[in-house]
This record gives sequence, structure tokens and C-alpha cells, in this order.
Amino acid sequence: MSTPSFEIAAGRSRRSGLLLVCILVFCVLLLSAQAPGGKSHSSLLQSWILSASAPVGRAVSLVSRGISGLADSTAEAFSAREENVRLKRDLAASNRELFHLRAEVSQAARERLLLAGGAALPRVWMAAPVLLVENRAGAQSALIAAGSSSGVAAGSPIAVPEGLVGRLVTVGATVSRAQLLLDASAAVGARIVRTQELGVVRGDGRGGMRLNNVPTTSRVAAGDAIESAGIDGIYPRGVAIGRVASVARGGNLFLEIRVTPAARFSQLTDVLVLAPSPAVAGVAGGGGSAGP
Amino acid sequence: MKFGRVALLLLAATALQFLVGGSRHRAAWPIDCFLIATAVVARGGNSSRAILVGGALGFLEDAFSQQLLGMNAFAKAALGYVLAVLSVRVVFGGAWAVGGALAAASLVNDAIVAMLSLLLLRAPPVLFSREALWRAAATGITGGILEAARVFPWRDWWKRRLLRRLR
Repeated sequence: MSTPSFEIAAGRSRRSGLLLVCILVFCVLLLSAQAPGGKSHSSLLQSWILSASAPVGRAVSLVSRGISGLADSTAEAFSAREENVRLKRDLAASNRELFHLRAEVSQAARERLLLAGGAALPRVWMAAPVLLVENRAGAQSALIAAGSSSGVAAGSPIAVPEGLVGRLVTVGATVSRAQLLLDASAAVGARIVRTQELGVVRGDGRGGMRLNNVPTTSRVAAGDAIESAGIDGIYPRGVAIGRVASVARGGNLFLEIRVTPAARFSQLTDVLVLAPSPAVAGVAGGGGSAGP
Repeated sequence: MKFGRVALLLLAATALQFLVGGSRHRAAWPIDCFLIATAVVARGGNSSRAILVGGALGFLEDAFSQQLLGMNAFAKAALGYVLAVLSVRVVFGGAWAVGGALAAASLVNDAIVAMLSLLLLRAPPVLFSREALWRAAATGITGGILEAARVFPWRDWWKRRLLRRLR
């Protein structure tokens, strides 16, 4: 009586083992086909999956924003009076500051004219809401509700008013995936504003960044602002990246510099999509996935 | 578990992942909804279904977050099988056991993805970061609470409550 049931159980176990092997082999083959150096790219499949999941993402995002908006407005109602007093105080201080600043405007305008020749200010393409932020094993990415239907192209940098956030790597019809600067594979050409020295900012995959390739002879100090240098052909020049958190002498010729990001990655809700650099726009030309 | 329920579970896991991941407070309780959904199917003891659901959810997660499709699918299919085998062969019960298994599964998922990233993309391995540990803890606690809610005798509790009121 127990033998047939044992055989059935063994058969099921064998079948599921076989299924597992098939799925794992399929995954390995798929991964090998996509790995850098392979001939085929799955970015099309990835962009299809992104487009197919877009309605769910948008609907849930609307609900989520509605709930958090309701919670925020309730909380704000309680703090409105204190905020009013504070704002009046701030306004008085701002008026005083405005008086001084007006005097400096003419001088600043002259300086701006001088700088305009060398500056390459980024052009903001559009603002887009963030649908999802994921981080796993060093890969830090975000889904944003903008795609090829709104004219967005792979390789476009994304930013918030505080600073640079990352770049789009896979573009679907209405949803795109962005690689954040915190990603362990992300890198951006950077300049230390005070000393004008160049380096490469890399994400550490753990929520921080490092500034590499700065020689030990550098005068960089904690608190120095770091901005994009525009030398990598991806990110525009002059956008804030962060501030130097600590400087230590490494074992080799370069300093070990930790950077605190300017953008608050943990609280991303909307981003600005910047126009891609001419080099990237020429290469991407569609929904392709650019490597790090 | 029937096919309709599995489909509903997939949809709910995706919606919940968007709800948590799209929120401004996403770092407060970063549960791995896809892993919990895989574990729910694996809890039924059907390893084939657990493998398929884990693989499907992994693919979805890869599309959202990874450069290559298949990393999370590989990890979650394997974890679905292991969790299903554990739930059938081992006396696997109680909120603590399920929570612990889910927390461990979350870390193993991270480790597999990190290893595949290192092999295929030469990406620096990031293992057991603070976020990963917190996600494992949140996923484990959530799984433990769900298991406790599943085995709790709600009907008896409700009857007892009614009786107490009548007295």
C-alpha cells in the first residue's frame, strides 16, 4: 500500500528536480548570451517587460502618492502655525539679504559672461516620477515613469535639484530603468570644485561613493564640493555630485576619498531627465542598454 | 495552490513591490515581496510550482533592477525548490522557523546575485551590506508574522470572544 505512494512521491521529486535543472540551465544560457562580449542583447526583452509592467507600476504609484500625500497634508496641518512663524522670520532675513545681493548682481553678471563661454549647462528634458528603487547585491537602480514615447533616450543623465542621480540604461515605451550613481558599477568623471583636480567618482554599492584617481599630492579636504567634470561623454559638466566626507592616504599613489552624495537617494520621488550628451545620443539611438 | 491564486499572488507581489519601492519611506521596511510570494507557494509543498513562480518573479525583478536578465530568476528558482523541499521533508513550522528561513533565503539570494554579477559583469562583490541585512530582517519578520497569522486559530478565537461577550 505504501509502495505506490512512495513511487509517486519519488516521481514527483524527480520531475521537480528536472524542472529545476532546466530552469537553472535556461537562466545560465540567457545570462551567458547577455554577458558583455556576447553577440545578442536582451535589452529589447527587458524593455518589453518594463513596458508590460508599466500599468501596474503607474497605478500603484498613484495610490502610493495619494496615501503619502494624505499623510503629509495631515502632518502639515499640525505644524502649519510653527512653520508660519518661521517663514515670517525667514522672509525678513531674506529681504535683508536681497538688499545686499542686489548690489552684487552687476558684478556677478560680469563674471557670468566670462564663465558662459566655458560652461556646458545641462538641458532639462522633463521631470518624471520615480516608480521603484531597487538595490540588491551592489546593483542600485530606479524605474522612472518616462520612456521612448516621451522622447527619452538611453544614456540620458538624471538628476534632482540637489545633484546628479544617475543615467538611464534601459528605455521602454513609458517606463525606463536607471542606474544610480550608488551602483557598484557606476562611474562619473568628477572635479573637485576648490582645487579643480579631476578624478572618478564610483558608487560602492552600499549607499556611499568614492572619489578615485586623486593623487596623494592633492590639497583636497573634507567638505570640498565635487561636481561632474563632463569628461566621460555621458554626464554634463558642472552638476553637483556630493561633498568629500573623509580623506585618507591609501597604500598606493592615490588618496582614498569617501564622498557623501548631494542627492538624497533614499528619498527619491521625482527626477529631472537631462538631455543626453551628443556622444551618447549618437550611439544609443533607441532602447539599447549601455554598459557601465 | 490553484493557478488563479498563483496569478493573483504574482500580481499582488508586483503591486506591493511597487508600493514599497516607490514610497519615500522605502528604506524603513524594505521587504522582498517576490521572495515572500515564492515562499508562500513553496509552503504548499509543490516544488515544481515554487520553481516556476520563483523563476517568473525573479525575471520580473531582473527587468526592474538588474543589467542582465536571469540573475534573480536563477536565485529565486533555486530558493523556491529548497524552501519547498524544506517545507515537505523537514518538520518546518512555526513563525520563528519560517522567519529565519526567509531571512536566510534573502541573504542567499543576495549572495547568488553578487556572485553572478562578479562572474559575468566583473562587478565588485557587495555582500551582506547594511541594506541587505535590514532587508533580510524585514523579510524574515514579515514572513514570520504571516506564518503566525496563517496558523492562528482565528475561528476559535472569535468564538471565545463572542462567548466572553455573552457572559
